[in-house]
Amino acid sequence: MASLTGRIFLAAARRNVAYTPVRFCKMMSDPLDHATGLEKRELLAKAAGNEDPFDMKVFQRGPGTKEQPNLIPSAFDARLVGCICEEEQTFVQWMWLYQGTPKRCECGYWFKLVEKAPV
Amino acid sequence: MHHSNHPYHLVDFSPWPLTGAIGAFSMVLGLLKWFHKYEINLFVLGNLITMFTMYQWWRDISREGAFQGLHTTPVIFGLRWGMILFIISEIFFFISFFWAFFHSSLSPTIELGMMWPPMGILIFNPFQVPLLNTAILLSSGVTVTWSHHSLLMNNHSQTSQSLLFTIILGIYFTMLQAYEYMEASFSIADAIYGSTFFMATGFHGFHVLIGTTFLIICLIRHLNNHFSKNHHFGFEAAAWYWHFVDVVWLFLYISIYWWGS
Repeated sequence: MASLTGRIFLAAARRNVAYTPVRFCKMMSDPLDHATGLEKRELLAKAAGNEDPFDMKVFQRGPGTKEQPNLIPSAFDARLVGCICEEEQTFVQWMWLYQGTPKRCECGYWFKLVEKAPV
Repeated sequence: MHHSNHPYHLVDFSPWPLTGAIGAFSMVLGLLKWFHKYEINLFVLGNLITMFTMYQWWRDISREGAFQGLHTTPVIFGLRWGMILFIISEIFFFISFFWAFFHSSLSPTIELGMMWPPMGILIFNPFQVPLLNTAILLSSGVTVTWSHHSLLMNNHSQTSQSLLFTIILGIYFTMLQAYEYMEASFSIADAIYGSTFFMATGFHGFHVLIGTTFLIICLIRHLNNHFSKNHHFGFEAAAWYWHFVDVVWLFLYISIYWWGS
């Protein structure tokens, strides 16, 4: 078993020395070229100036009337929304907001889910 | 592919927690069997299961991070906190051994001759191999920092060279500790001195082995181009762990080897 493990390790080590182009170049690839998947899309969004690509930060509330509800972006059918009803409030009022059904928080502010393409 | 707009990594089902638990259980049970029946087979089996689990679990996470791009900024934030809290728990693990040492050495009982080191115990000279080991670990702290800075400067070859030096220094430390253990004139069964000495230095040596393994995995991953200058948390975690092991050794050297002599 030990020799098998050793052989796997040696084979992997030899393969890298033999085949990677890195042995010719001292410098590593650019972080953005190196990244892939969601990590890359997040980096691209940040490079494009969007510091909050997943809308994780606290929104500043707008007028929040029935005619002009606060627009909450989501790529899902529903999103859990927390309303800080009054500035001095020490807790967050949570509620589920569904696509197509604007909702009013207990404090009176209106919220509406708007569709957003995923990052 | 992610079609949902959130940055979190919802992990797939994985057998490794289960095989890891089986491996750890058979390892400890095998250790007991070794102690009682002088048979090492179950211990070896437990070690093999644990090592194969480690290999495959580490491989899966490397794939998720480097090839699937699942480690976004909030995910890395979680990994960082996980490692920080793990190292804090390790610090308290070692505090318990230092507590045992100081409890016994600050007011030695009548059975020890009311002296420390206890009557009849021939201890190591702290200015021979232990001092060399201090120098080796401090140097390895320098080389791992060199490696980190090379990584931040996009310098591939210097990162691998200095990381290799760090690993060699770690292996050198382990070899010297093994020789010291073989040469020791007292054993873990030699009253409280042997118990506290081998419990503390033994667990430290075990952590050096883990840290060296972690660094070797970072070197293999680096040679496989898994890292970039802002995507290398695995390396940072290994470096944090290595510094932790280094600092524990400094406390061991100062209190057990030097003050305790």
